[in-house]
Amino acid sequence: MKSDTNVKLPLAFIIYALIALVVAQAILFFNNDLLLAGQFRLPDIWMGAHFLLLGYAVMIAMGAMYQLVPVAFLTPIWSQKLGYIQFIITAIGVTLFAILLGVQPDNAIYGGILAIIGIIMFIIQMVQTILKQKNKNMMTYFVLGAITSFFLTIVAGFLLAWNISYGGIGSHNTILASHIVLGVAGWFTLLIFGFSYKLVPMFSLSHGFSMKWAKPAFFTYIIGLILLISSFWLDFMFLETSGWLVLFIGFSFFVLDIKEILAKRIKKKLDKPFTFSLLAIGNGLAIHLIAVLLKVTGVDHPTIWSWLIFLYVMGWIIFSILGYLYKIVPFLWWTHKYSNKIGKEKVPTLKEMINEKVSVVLFVLFTVSVIGLTLGALFQIGAVVFIFQGLLALTSLAYAVSIVRVLFV
Amino acid sequence: MSLEKKVGAALFEVIDPELGINIMDLGLIYGIGVDIEDNVEIKMTLTTPGCPMHDSITNGVKHRVSQIEEVGNVHVDMVWDPAWNPGKMSDKAKGMLGFG
Repeated sequence: MKSDTNVKLPLAFIIYALIALVVAQAILFFNNDLLLAGQFRLPDIWMGAHFLLLGYAVMIAMGAMYQLVPVAFLTPIWSQKLGYIQFIITAIGVTLFAILLGVQPDNAIYGGILAIIGIIMFIIQMVQTILKQKNKNMMTYFVLGAITSFFLTIVAGFLLAWNISYGGIGSHNTILASHIVLGVAGWFTLLIFGFSYKLVPMFSLSHGFSMKWAKPAFFTYIIGLILLISSFWLDFMFLETSGWLVLFIGFSFFVLDIKEILAKRIKKKLDKPFTFSLLAIGNGLAIHLIAVLLKVTGVDHPTIWSWLIFLYVMGWIIFSILGYLYKIVPFLWWTHKYSNKIGKEKVPTLKEMINEKVSVVLFVLFTVSVIGLTLGALFQIGAVVFIFQGLLALTSLAYAVSIVRVLFV
Repeated sequence: MSLEKKVGAALFEVIDPELGINIMDLGLIYGIGVDIEDNVEIKMTLTTPGCPMHDSITNGVKHRVSQIEEVGNVHVDMVWDPAWNPGKMSDKAKGMLGFG
């Protein structure tokens, strides 16, 4: 079974996303004074955050799913034509929405509506594709859970944008908190969990593992999400602490499976970009644990929680994607360019299409930037925030160039 | 050299692009059959069902074997039973992966 998806479709999403990554980091760099002040709920930061999460992370996730869903679920994409239309609408919508959030928040809803139409088209596309899968497995449920969370995230996001434009909806902060949890923990985490069950064994050539914790991980994480979101609406502290604790337990179950998969791997020397994605899993576990400890010890300072959310997004979600993309793009391009030449002439291996040494330097720079930026902000040292957000923006640019280079091999 | 052996030797040149190891050393080839008209039937597997390189490797096998002069038609029979396991790899492949 090969992915029948035309390479142009996932690549369109990925190239847009790489541009959005650089734009997002540049916006955050030019607003590093706001980052230092812990002022995240301001138009310029909204713009940077939405370029990062919608423009980069969501668009990468969409592009990767157009490629991976047919491979992992052994079923072709429902309608590739819809995929191209969906790409154009989503790209215009996300760009307009993020820019309007920064320059005219009152009108952001118009960009938001376009982005939502694009996202709903994507959800229809994926649900129709996945429903055709003959033998459903745990991966299917992780992806369906992620897509459901994604839908609820955009519903909450729409209500927020509506409120900014027209007002009239109470519970703005509660909807905002639900929007963030559903988006980062529901959509991205469940999606990364699901695809990791396919990608980690594939990239480590693992055999004979059980995946016995997949079902407990899925249900526990979903229960954690429900508890945490309920705590916002019921304003019940115990429920919030319980929610984080259950999310941590769910994440731990996932880690147990990944540990077993890696223990049973045949490829002992793993590729460096893939190792970086595995490191992100460790980051994710640590961040969940820190959240539990902060809640248990009653630390509720908004700045600390803002930066913990930043670490959740960068250290777990973005780092996972950065690593996997170094595997996904060479695979896409290799299939497009060399698939019909194998056996006829010498073709490069996937590893020969990337510069692994450069990737190591980039991943070290990403890690140093995120640690430096967080420490600079927590200790309120302006020069440190300036330097490390600048380094993060430059590293993002170098990373985007290194990925695009693959297309010229 | 018999045609079976020629085909086997040619398959050492088909490289799995993800692992950088040829499919013979990986133990992906279960059997090579040749009929009286020199049509070749290759029974093979992949390291995992749903491998994204499925079509690429299958076509690579067909292309390479078709380049042998005497060969008539080439048919690849992809099977999942018995499933591939690490024990099917040669010592060379194991060494390249740092396994065992």
